[in-house]
Amino acid sequence: MFKTFFLSELIYTLKQPVVYIFIFIFALLEFFATVSDNVQVGGAIGNVYRNSPYTLTQHITIFCIFSLIMAVTFFNNAALRDHNNEFNEILFTTPLSKPGFFFGRFFGALLVSTLPLLGVFIGMLLGTSMNSIFGWLDPNRFGPFYIEAYINNYLLFILPNMFLAGAVIYAMANKWKSTIISFVGGLVIIVAYIVSTTLVSDIDNETIAGLSDIFGMNTYNIETKYFTPVEKNTISPSFSGLLLQNRLIWSVLGVIILLLSYFSFSFKQKNKKVKKQKESHSKNETIFDLPKLNPSFTGNTSWVQFKSFFYTNFLSIIKSVTFKILFLFCVIILVADLSGGFEYFGLQSYPLTYRLIDSIEGSTKIFLVIIAVFFSGELIWRDRDSKINEVIDASAHTSFISMAAKTLSLISTVVILNLFFIVIGVIYQLLNGYTRIELDVYLLDFLYVNLPLFITFSGVTILIQVLSSNKYIGYFIAILILFVLEIVLSILDISSNMLNLANGPFLQYSDMDRFGPGLKAALWFNLYWILFTLLGLLVAGALWNRGSKSSLIARVKAARKEIPKSYRGVIAVATIAWLGVSGYVYYNTQILNPYRSGDTNEQLAVDYENKYGKYRDVISPKVTDAKYYIDIFPAERNMNVKADIELTNASDKPIDSLHFYTIDDWDSSFDIPNSKVVYTDETYLYKIYKLSPPLQPGEKMVMKIDNKYITKGFSNGRGNTNIINNGTFFNNGQLLPTMGYNDGYEISDKNTRRKHDLPPKERMPKLTEEVGELHMANYLSDGQSDFINVETIISTSKDQTAIAPGTLTKQWEENNRNYYHYKTDTPSLNFYSFMSADFEIAKRKWNGIDMEIYYDEKHDVNIDMMLDAVQRSLEYYTENFGPYYHKQARIIEFPRYATFAQAFPGTMPYSEAFGFVINLEDETDNNVIDAVIAHEMGHQWWAHQVIGANMQGGTMTSESFSEYSSLMTLKSISDNPMKMREFLKYDHDRYLRGRSGEREKELPLYKVENQGYIHYGKGSVILYALQDYIGEDSLNVAMKSFLEEYRYRNTPYPSSLDFLRHLEPRVPDSLKYLVNDWFKEITLYDNRLKEANYKMLDNGKYEVTLEIESSKIKSDSLGNETKTAINDWIDVGFFMDDDEKELYQQKRMKFNKEKSSITVQLDKLPVKAAIDPRHLLIDRVYDDNIKRISLQE
Amino acid sequence: MNTLTITNLSKTYSNGVKALDDVSLTLENGMFGLLGPNGAGKSSLMRTLATLQEADSGTATLDDIDILKQPAEVRKVLGYLPQEFGVYPRITAEQLLTHLAILKGITNPSERKALVRYLLDKVNLYDKRNKSVKGFSGGMKQRVGIAQALIGNPKLIIVDEPTAGLDPGERNRFYNLLADVGKEVIVILSTHIVDDVRELCTKMAIMNFGEIVYHGSPQAAIDDLNSKVYQKIVDRDQLDNYASEYKIISNKMVGGQPLIHVFSEGHPQNGFEQVTPNLEDVFFSKINTSNVLV
Repeated sequence: MFKTFFLSELIYTLKQPVVYIFIFIFALLEFFATVSDNVQVGGAIGNVYRNSPYTLTQHITIFCIFSLIMAVTFFNNAALRDHNNEFNEILFTTPLSKPGFFFGRFFGALLVSTLPLLGVFIGMLLGTSMNSIFGWLDPNRFGPFYIEAYINNYLLFILPNMFLAGAVIYAMANKWKSTIISFVGGLVIIVAYIVSTTLVSDIDNETIAGLSDIFGMNTYNIETKYFTPVEKNTISPSFSGLLLQNRLIWSVLGVIILLLSYFSFSFKQKNKKVKKQKESHSKNETIFDLPKLNPSFTGNTSWVQFKSFFYTNFLSIIKSVTFKILFLFCVIILVADLSGGFEYFGLQSYPLTYRLIDSIEGSTKIFLVIIAVFFSGELIWRDRDSKINEVIDASAHTSFISMAAKTLSLISTVVILNLFFIVIGVIYQLLNGYTRIELDVYLLDFLYVNLPLFITFSGVTILIQVLSSNKYIGYFIAILILFVLEIVLSILDISSNMLNLANGPFLQYSDMDRFGPGLKAALWFNLYWILFTLLGLLVAGALWNRGSKSSLIARVKAARKEIPKSYRGVIAVATIAWLGVSGYVYYNTQILNPYRSGDTNEQLAVDYENKYGKYRDVISPKVTDAKYYIDIFPAERNMNVKADIELTNASDKPIDSLHFYTIDDWDSSFDIPNSKVVYTDETYLYKIYKLSPPLQPGEKMVMKIDNKYITKGFSNGRGNTNIINNGTFFNNGQLLPTMGYNDGYEISDKNTRRKHDLPPKERMPKLTEEVGELHMANYLSDGQSDFINVETIISTSKDQTAIAPGTLTKQWEENNRNYYHYKTDTPSLNFYSFMSADFEIAKRKWNGIDMEIYYDEKHDVNIDMMLDAVQRSLEYYTENFGPYYHKQARIIEFPRYATFAQAFPGTMPYSEAFGFVINLEDETDNNVIDAVIAHEMGHQWWAHQVIGANMQGGTMTSESFSEYSSLMTLKSISDNPMKMREFLKYDHDRYLRGRSGEREKELPLYKVENQGYIHYGKGSVILYALQDYIGEDSLNVAMKSFLEEYRYRNTPYPSSLDFLRHLEPRVPDSLKYLVNDWFKEITLYDNRLKEANYKMLDNGKYEVTLEIESSKIKSDSLGNETKTAINDWIDVGFFMDDDEKELYQQKRMKFNKEKSSITVQLDKLPVKAAIDPRHLLIDRVYDDNIKRISLQE
Repeated sequence: MNTLTITNLSKTYSNGVKALDDVSLTLENGMFGLLGPNGAGKSSLMRTLATLQEADSGTATLDDIDILKQPAEVRKVLGYLPQEFGVYPRITAEQLLTHLAILKGITNPSERKALVRYLLDKVNLYDKRNKSVKGFSGGMKQRVGIAQALIGNPKLIIVDEPTAGLDPGERNRFYNLLADVGKEVIVILSTHIVDDVRELCTKMAIMNFGEIVYHGSPQAAIDDLNSKVYQKIVDRDQLDNYASEYKIISNKMVGGQPLIHVFSEGHPQNGFEQVTPNLEDVFFSKINTSNVLV
């Protein structure tokens, strides 16, 4: 019996074209994802093969989410086919076997629903083999075929995911006998997945996140987060670890659901519960008279009809089960998002209004889109589905009235939902004791962003439903337009928001700059889309299918007599209004503020390199002094910059021409003595001036630059976020042209270069020990300048404060504007910022140095902590590294359009998004402010006093050193050595994850090529461990002596080898191996504590025996790892508590073989034992370093 | 006095079926019965008159309104009960009728309230006015449908198979209601139940294959057949023989044996006996012109 039903289900479903359509679509998508760089599934790939087991698994897990649609279709069909065809009463009265029917159908559907995912296999295999023939992509980007990867993907992801999804959907379908409820079953699974995903945002939650993921997608990502490219290319997902546990948990759950459903399944029809009708006892004796009727058909009638239509439609949405369920999902995801979700180092921001707005938008938007799509179909087909359409259609109302009411009821639903979410947000804020609740911001944001978006979505989905001949075709087209349009546009390289439905510039609320520079454009785009929608609705009203179903052409014909003359007038007016707005938006976004698409920019960069690469070696003079006269007009978002730049010929040859790469969007004029323009290229912004007479070696000249930035109208995107109403922030590089050929403009991605037949480009010049030409330029100004003096006169509006580098020597008011005169106290790198905003200023003095925090008045909570952090840094660094040469240390807040902090000489801009608004009330948590400020302060020594030559390893002495300095200030205030492990784990994670995603090659620390995961992540871990091994003082002395040799020295600049030269004398012979292992090679450790047992001794002490495995691994740049003999010093220690806070009896021991056994006598009995208890060494799996101690048997 | 004039109305569906074939009729106030077998084109005609369907050619006017060209005007004076009358879920009878009353231009709330209650009472649903219509039985739903067709001051009421699903009592109530309003307006009643027409209508038409095969008063049609209809109970095996020899109007089973009615100008003898013709004989004689067993 099972076989009969299984086979018949299989045969029935295999006759459905939808199976093959899905196989085809998946195969097609995967094919392009395999052979084209334009189609990406998941993320970019880099060094990983296009057909690697890792890539395959990533793609399969993502496609699994989409195949839920098929799971719903097939399982729902398997459960309800007989029911829907009303065949059940016939079928179920035959002598069927219940298990045969129930499981036969189920497993038939299961097998079929896994088929479409095989399309992914087909796509990848086909892509790989066709690429080897046609060579669309470099064959080096493909690896060997691993059959295991395919089999395991089927068994680990495809089958279990479809099994669980199928069990849920099949059970729900059998229980409720409704297709809609089955779709809800699909949504339940997605919601469960999203909720689990919010857990991944912090490393501490990874195990729970991995186990709770219904698809195993996050689980796989967690399992492979530290995979090197080589491992990604060779290792298939396996039946082990977290992944296996996850798969078992969810499969067992699937079995349970299926069995429960089976036992509650019966062939008998459920007797419908009939509510006992209440007898109406009071028989009504009223006599009714037919009133005198005055039917009227005036404008007022239309209004009353509109209200009545609105009311009935709106209630039909609100009362429907689907709505209630979708609503519930929104709330679940919103609450999960609010209560989970960490930002940095396991910390969370205060519940600022803008953060809640982001959260509401992020977690509910997809459901609101589903509501718009689903209910547009429900509303438009409602009369027909209820079979009341003929009555309604034959009544005297204008179709547009009914349709407008439907649209409005849909929009109102979304409005009410949003208002409700705002209430949830406010409640969340209040529950967290946060009282700066900005209802105006909530509401304005809704008016600016979500309301117009959903007006457009609702209107367009309704238009689609009106035009389409069937509800499901309407759904299909709506989904296509809402989700696929964007992909198509990006493939076609079209970025105009005028073509991307309901799009406009991104609005991001900032406490400083409110809705920001994009607001004007957003409002115009909103108007544009709303008028578009209105027009669409008017057309839909005219083409409304009134009466019997008829084709679109017939409806166009019928429209002529259905619509009154006035209606045509309205359409004409709406068309004119829309065209007018379109024209204005087009003029502003395309003519006044043209922009380039991604492909155009790429091509420009290629052409630039091909055309001007010949000037690569042209010699330019150096900037040796600069004076700025800057006027900022925040309200108008304009800026005038005049600069007197002193140029010196620092070479030994005369310079007869000056090459400039000028900047876009600025009106620039140059006044260069004794020169004339000989070449201008507007497209590539290239300009050449001829000098006569030439500038002789050592000779100086002053170039006057007049630069204007004028904001005109509005642009397609958000526009410039540096020059804004409140929080202007730009650096000198953004307002002066670059001299000489700018190789920073060249394309750096190796695959893109290959595509354009450009020669391979080294990320950075090779590290060289011998002082040569390369040592003459530092990596920040790349030979354009060295340490110089800067003077600035800067003005801004009356309500703002403007800041430039150096001491404020004079301040005055003129023309109702604020003027400031700043001057640097010591020659500094030609790299500084100018800022202007309405600031509050907190000041403190330390040893004659002004510590100043410039902040927005709303962000005063962490200011004292910031001053403390500045002071702590000054104390530690002046004591250990040497004097601070500026007279001030300023932390300056800027809007959250970017999230970073940056160190310029004496001034450190710091984004409002992290630090100022982070909740740091719990002192046991990591402190992001202490860490970030100490890092930026560290740069005042490491970068601004000594900066590396522009070659490999250059960023080690600035970034790694600043990160190390920061760690040392944290260490100086932590009372427990274990606290640093909490912080360092993020650095370990950053390094290991970073190397896993490396797109080219990993380098040892001393050759780092500006790779963040190496110079921040690995650099901080290694330097921290090093001070622990050789002593804090020794390392600091080495750093100090290195600093003293190069401090403020123009040329030559040091390399990382110069530091190692200072370091080596400070490293005892027994630890010399560390310099090689940690700086010059890629070294990882694999330490494990296999056994930890104790027994009580007669003297009352405890004898603890530890079985330890320890090995050292060397990796090459792609992640090929080789075990090497270990001969290293590693700590062994104990914890007295479960939380691993109380470290006991730590001892550094030498390990020289892979397996060792250690026995120690202890006075007290610890809870746990550990190798490397403070996590100093880089170990991909650290968990197995620690073990609970058990009694020896 | 209202006049509905239909002239040469034709409609062919895209699948080639001729739904209306040169239909011409003139109707005045009073009940008009439209008889015809399933698929005869009754519903097509009614939908066309109710502005729900386009015609290929021909005209239809109600007084001075051109139905085909001014649908919005017709709808203001139209009451329509389609063959299949469904209702929205989650809405009460009173809410539904109120909504429909608004659509029919009853904008004065107190008038509307009184009207809805009056109609609910008329169709015997006043007690159930606050119940969800979706949960009503087929007959109750049909009564709601009848109520809505009477809303407003329609000049033309079109009811398509209105008594399907009604029990005899309800049917009577409905006919009384229709007869009440039918004095002053045009009521077109389509049905395949011959008795309905006989009881209610002064004028009638019979449709078959999209054509009007008879148009006149029911009594005149019956009179035409006077002393031309004969009946006989025959053997089932013999049916085919009789069919070839006589113009059989109808056959139905009586006590397990076929009773045939035949049309004959003179007495056919052979055991046939003359019967007084009824409307059913008219109906079958008009549609069964090809003389086949039905």
